Amino acid sequence: MAGIVRRAVLGHMRAPVVQKSLSLHGSKKLLHNPIFFRSMSSHGDDHLTKQEVIDRVLSVIKDFPKVDPSKVTADVHFQKDLGLDSLDNVELVMALEEEFKLEIPDLEADKIDSCKVAIEYIYNHPMAG
Amino acid sequence: MSATYLARKAALKQRVRLLYRRSLKDTLNWAVHRHLFYGDADDLRNKFEANKHVEDLETIDRMIAVGEATYNKWRHPDPYIVPWAPGGTKFCRNPVPPAGIEIVYDYGREDND
Repeated sequence: MAGIVRRAVLGHMRAPVVQKSLSLHGSKKLLHNPIFFRSMSSHGDDHLTKQEVIDRVLSVIKDFPKVDPSKVTADVHFQKDLGLDSLDNVELVMALEEEFKLEIPDLEADKIDSCKVAIEYIYNHPMAG
Repeated sequence: MSATYLARKAALKQRVRLLYRRSLKDTLNWAVHRHLFYGDADDLRNKFEANKHVEDLETIDRMIAVGEATYNKWRHPDPYIVPWAPGGTKFCRNPVPPAGIEIVYDYGREDND
């Protein structure tokens, strides 16, 4: 008796599956299947636009104390154009890591030695904050 | 300037850069507050700058080995690692569920419904 009532009640109270229609305009993180769409997760949040990355990288380089801000453009080479030392290069890469909350492996960080390389690396990094 | 000499010198330069990078990060781990960190970072930089003009490769090699030993001695037991990186707190926390696994919405439905 109780089982029949339970079944009838539950049959009326079934929660509907919401079929969201997701349009993929530029947002790479949403999958087609709505079951995998976790709306309140901040995992892999926003991907930066290229212009934002360029602006932030240039502002970090301009704020570096050993750099002359008027010489900084988007394709300077740190050691050749800005006259920095290799250790200054290391410090600059660390400053960029802190700005974008990245963790760059040591050997990759060694290869970043111009503005263009830095912008490319950060733009293509999936977790760039 | 033979090729082996240049190759050895380039390798030593890379070791110096990696040592500087790791010791700078370690300095930041130990001196969490920025005003303390800037002082310590300047001291570290001066230590590197003092030996900048050494020419002999053997001496450089020995100095780098001493530097790496000092770095290993002073490594922080609980370094700050960015959360999503290996060793961080968020690493592997919420992995993407494997494909094909889904929730079946049939709560309360019996087999002969």
